[in-house]
Amino acid sequence: MVGNAVVMGVSLLVWGLLFYYLVRLERRVSELEKK
Amino acid sequence: MVLRGSLLLWIAGWMVAAFLWAPLVPVLGETTRVLYFHIPVAWVTVFALAWSMVHSLLYLRRRNMEHDHHAMAAAEIGLLFCVAATVSGSLWAKAMWGSYWNWDPRETSIFFLLLVYAAYLALRGAIDQDERRARLSAVYSATAFVAVPFLMFVVPRIYFTLHPDPLINPRGKIDMDPRIRVVFFALLAGFTALYFWILSVRVRVARLERRSQEA
Repeated sequence: MVGNAVVMGVSLLVWGLLFYYLVRLERRVSELEKK
Repeated sequence: MVLRGSLLLWIAGWMVAAFLWAPLVPVLGETTRVLYFHIPVAWVTVFALAWSMVHSLLYLRRRNMEHDHHAMAAAEIGLLFCVAATVSGSLWAKAMWGSYWNWDPRETSIFFLLLVYAAYLALRGAIDQDERRARLSAVYSATAFVAVPFLMFVVPRIYFTLHPDPLINPRGKIDMDPRIRVVFFALLAGFTALYFWILSVRVRVARLERRSQEA
């Protein structure tokens, strides 16, 4: 049970970081395009 | 936007299929599902680093900053996927071998790869002048890639490893259940497309940053 929670937590963290990176890039693009 | 949404749906849909439709590999049991994430992510790592090396060589030949943007973006994304491969591999190792980290040849290799490409980004961050940064980092990236096939494919074959055999076995065949194969290749294609999406956005950022510096 603890193992499942660890796997789920780490998977969500990895996906979360990947999407955070993408969202940050998209935000940077719109900032630079405004300039 | 539609393409991006479709890609996310594609990955999510095949992930669900991995849980509900594809059978389990008897030796791996429930951990079979890690295969659909771990191998595509490791594949994207090697592909991205090769992309970075090719564009570094192109930069050295043509001195076009567009190649530098591609080399930098690919190395950055390769490093990101390398972290994901390390984390997923570590979780798999815990389930199969009883420990998150065993200093197995594969684990040691990926650890060195992380260090080599983290140093590439550190090198880029330490140089202010565009042309100089592009030239030095192109030489570094082209040279660093020599270590990739060695660390990923040679070292694990020389030393004893707990890691399973490569996907394509020594007879040149892929031993997989047909349903596992369908899900696996669908996700491999999905993750490769995800790589190109992130690459396009990262290259666009680099291009815009350069233009704003010049303005």
